[in-house]
Amino acid sequence: MKTLHVLVLSALATSPALAEETRQLGAHEHGVGQLDIAFDGQQVAMEFHAPGADIVGFEYAPESAEDRAAVDEAVAMLARPMDLFVLPEAAGCSVAKATAGLESEEEGHEDEHGHDEHEHDDHEHDDHADEATHTEFHAEYLLACADTSAIANITFAYFETFPNALEVEVQVISDAGATSFEVERDAPTLDLRGLF
Amino acid sequence: MILRLAFASLAARALTVGMTILAIALSVALFLGVEKVRTGAKASFADTISGTDLIVGARSGSVQLLLYSVFRIGNATNNMTWDSYKDLAAQPEVDWIVPISLGDSHRQFRVMGTTTAFFERYKYRSGQPLAVSDGAVMDDLFDAVIGADVAATLGYEIGAPIVVAHGLASFTEHKDQPFRVSGILEKTGTPVDRTVIVSLEAIEAIHVDWRNGAQIPGQSTPADVIRQMQLEPQAITAALIGTQSRLQVFSLQRAINEYPQEPLLAILPGVALQELWQIVGIAETALIGVSGMVVVTALIGMMATIFSSLNERRREMAIFRAMGARPRVVLGLLVLEAVLMAIIGAALGLALLYAGLFIGQPLIDSAFGLWLPIEPPSMRELWVLLGVVAAGAIVSMVPAYRAYRMSLADGMMVRN
Repeated sequence: MKTLHVLVLSALATSPALAEETRQLGAHEHGVGQLDIAFDGQQVAMEFHAPGADIVGFEYAPESAEDRAAVDEAVAMLARPMDLFVLPEAAGCSVAKATAGLESEEEGHEDEHGHDEHEHDDHEHDDHADEATHTEFHAEYLLACADTSAIANITFAYFETFPNALEVEVQVISDAGATSFEVERDAPTLDLRGLF
Repeated sequence: MILRLAFASLAARALTVGMTILAIALSVALFLGVEKVRTGAKASFADTISGTDLIVGARSGSVQLLLYSVFRIGNATNNMTWDSYKDLAAQPEVDWIVPISLGDSHRQFRVMGTTTAFFERYKYRSGQPLAVSDGAVMDDLFDAVIGADVAATLGYEIGAPIVVAHGLASFTEHKDQPFRVSGILEKTGTPVDRTVIVSLEAIEAIHVDWRNGAQIPGQSTPADVIRQMQLEPQAITAALIGTQSRLQVFSLQRAINEYPQEPLLAILPGVALQELWQIVGIAETALIGVSGMVVVTALIGMMATIFSSLNERRREMAIFRAMGARPRVVLGLLVLEAVLMAIIGAALGLALLYAGLFIGQPLIDSAFGLWLPIEPPSMRELWVLLGVVAAGAIVSMVPAYRAYRMSLADGMMVRN
């Protein structure tokens, strides 16, 4: 296993010297993305993670111009949440904030607020040498909705956009508490009735 | 007329009919009982914790952490360090944080070290807070607040002394530092009922003269000296966290799960419970399947008794026919008899279930901490009963059809 170089960008890290000693890896399952949704008043916060294999079909650091274009295109698509996770019209939601980016397991955390091409370039050769490298796309959204209680379901157009994706594990927090769902390609609709 | 006939016919064969009814009643009681325990367990688990956004502990599994920290079931998770706890408490997203320290016991009950914030923050049954029925929450270092079941089982009142044992069911007791009961909590139907709650400092205090799990011989620090000491715990079992805003829960969870200094795990209680049900779900389905098969077996038993009774009642049926009853009436009589048996069986089964609940409720509560509510039967249960009666009618069609087809002449013939 390759050493995980945790870049100390985590909000919790207090001592950079200690952090460099740490070796830990996250879970990674191809075909399975993760979406966390929090409802609070008129705001809906979403956090999305998906393996690079699901989104662009490869998990090495982009090498060719083609790869790079694919990643850029994917990031651009992930930055449009309303096209991926379709909410009912009645809810009147609009995107207040959306960021997307690619992070590689090897690098630990990428700055969540942007897609920094340079950072990846630095590690390119490293990545290539190591077969165990996994990359993950990461996106964060904040939506403002006129009526969150009208969000009775979410349609995952995501599966149409990214044909390699098979499943999304969804965690939801609302007034009714926390719960989890699995949304699969065969039935790409998340039923949220009973949460409001 | 035909109803009276059916009743009289059943009464005439009281013993076999009684056995058949008993079999149906037992199977119905079993089926409904399994259903009751299943839904009761789910409700009881779901009601145990509410209002807590995250539970944090050492990295293990979400189900294990939830079961151990909240339900005190299963294997102990590793401890997390006090430094990490302080670090977490300082995070801007954290609105409140309550530490939990487990590991010692009093008689058969767990002792939990925590802060007084626990009484404000811990909520059960959709947001209901804990209430003190007698006395007050702990004030002094050696004060203990006990759950309703602890007080009831051990007969403790305010001021009663408590000696905490090291570990679980251990012979080594912390005799030199006895506690005093300062408050008794109201019954909640959660594991808190079976818990002795002391302050986090108190957990440290009782271990002052202990090294490596044993008391240092001849050493006993007086309580007054301990009170003067700086008692800061080295480790805790878990912590309950409430966030400033619900929108921050997931990012805080992620940050904790990726906390570089210590392998920690943050779980959403509701999601962890759901994971647990996914695991238990397979066994649940099997249990329902088996109890459903028992009902089917009882109904097939009924069919067998009706079949065998047909031979005895060959002459009887023939006489009905000779008296002018149509074959349809004979069929109707047999089906009616079966339906009556099924109805009596289902009703008796329901009665058995409630009798069992009435007797079993306190036993199950004390043994498993599972409170099964005694409620009028739900719509679902009524449908099950109706289904049993309908299945009884359908099953009886088979022998009834045979009686229907049997010719008058056949019944009149004398057989050797």
